[in-house]
Amino acid sequence: MITKRLAVAVALAATILAVAAALRYAEGAGTVSAEGARRIMQVLVGLSLAAYANFMPKQIGRARRSPEAESRTQAALRVGGWSMTLAGLAYAGLWALAPLRVADVASMIVVAAALAVTLGYAIWSFTACRSAADAQVGR
Amino acid sequence: MSKVFKALAVPTRRKVLQLLRRRPMTAGELSEHFPVSKPTMSAHFAVLREADLVDAGKQGTTITYRLKLSVLEDALLGFSQAFGIGVGDAGPADEPALEITKGRTS
Repeated sequence: MITKRLAVAVALAATILAVAAALRYAEGAGTVSAEGARRIMQVLVGLSLAAYANFMPKQIGRARRSPEAESRTQAALRVGGWSMTLAGLAYAGLWALAPLRVADVASMIVVAAALAVTLGYAIWSFTACRSAADAQVGR
Repeated sequence: MSKVFKALAVPTRRKVLQLLRRRPMTAGELSEHFPVSKPTMSAHFAVLREADLVDAGKQGTTITYRLKLSVLEDALLGFSQAFGIGVGDAGPADEPALEITKGRTS
């Protein structure tokens, strides 16, 4: 399983490097403008983020001891997966369609917001789970 | 991907996934929500497991199911639920159990 994930990650990295090299070549040959090359690269980065985040809720790992912890972990993974996938798609969309100055700033904001939602929800879930466990012990 | 579509095409299996959204459940707990026989439910669980939409953990004689949906599969589930794909299609819901029964008798 880990080997498969590693292979996918290496293949993705190789694809990004190959596309970057091809774009560099095309730019030198005058086939693609500098702006076009930059946009294509960023769209690829956004789509990679979306593809990776898509599988985030599937990484459920081993079973937790309490049903409370299990459901909260699942919810956190789902929220993280959805927010990062949508952010990746928005990132790609912005770089494909928006003016460069807008895409530059907005794409960063979108990903930062998704990251904040993911981490915020995970921390909130963890805290709520700990509180519930403490309350149970105190009873 | 065809396994995922096959799994999501039947309302009973979609309901199972909806129930697992709340929390992990045992096979018995899930079966209580459906007016179908246990072999039929087992067949539905097998289809969901094969499509990698659920994770089954065995503790003694109890099997606990956990949801294992990617974002795309989650969206497909919501989409098929919203548009009622397969609703009123009673035949396919019993199809897996029938296949198993046939397999045992032949």
